[in-house]
Amino acid sequence: MLRNRVKELRARYGFTQSDLGKLTDVTRQTIAFIEKGEFSPSIALALKLAKALQTNVDELFWLEEDEKNEK
Amino acid sequence: MKNDFRMQYPLWMMGFIVVLGMFAYGVSSPVTNVVNTETEQSIMIEFEPVAGFFVVGTAALYIIMLVIFIFRLLRHNKKNPNQKVSPFSVRPLEYLEQDEGMTYITRKASQKVYTFMSWSLPMLAVFAMVTPLPRLFIVWGILLVALIQYVIYYLEIRKHFKEEIE
Repeated sequence: MLRNRVKELRARYGFTQSDLGKLTDVTRQTIAFIEKGEFSPSIALALKLAKALQTNVDELFWLEEDEKNEK
Repeated sequence: MKNDFRMQYPLWMMGFIVVLGMFAYGVSSPVTNVVNTETEQSIMIEFEPVAGFFVVGTAALYIIMLVIFIFRLLRHNKKNPNQKVSPFSVRPLEYLEQDEGMTYITRKASQKVYTFMSWSLPMLAVFAMVTPLPRLFIVWGILLVALIQYVIYYLEIRKHFKEEIE
């Protein structure tokens, strides 16, 4: 499963879901789906999100299996 | 989003299907007398009081609902010029495809509906063939399948929007 830090970084920069949606050309609902882990974004959207949140894609998204292996 | 016309569209269709089912009951029960002699040619369709009420009442209700439906559709198109919907579109109006997230939700809901349709329609066809049911019951069966597909679609979409957080 794909995990992410979208909610954490969005809060850090003081963005609402709507703000981030506007920056990445998607609806607020799609940002909510991504944050909840219901939906895995495309590479293009992941890149847009990373750019909007001033980070790298691999800092923003990672696989749950990798997280377990690191522990 | 919950007030989006496309989200409410399945509810409208459910309403129309229920009214159509009641209308079907009304129109399937009249007594028809056909007289065709050398001196007289006439067709008389006689509704029973209850059936007559169903025909007139549901036809009136259907028209009222249709007027409100068109009004809501036009209002949606006015408010959302970039996401206009047309009642004459071949694609179902309830599809939410503004972006990849919405397309994903729509696809999930559509898959559930397809799964239901893939076994319910053959079952209904077999049921209609092997049982000596009146035509009205077959019509109700078809309408029930149509109703359930909208229920499945609506509940799946609604589930994703239920816990929306900002």
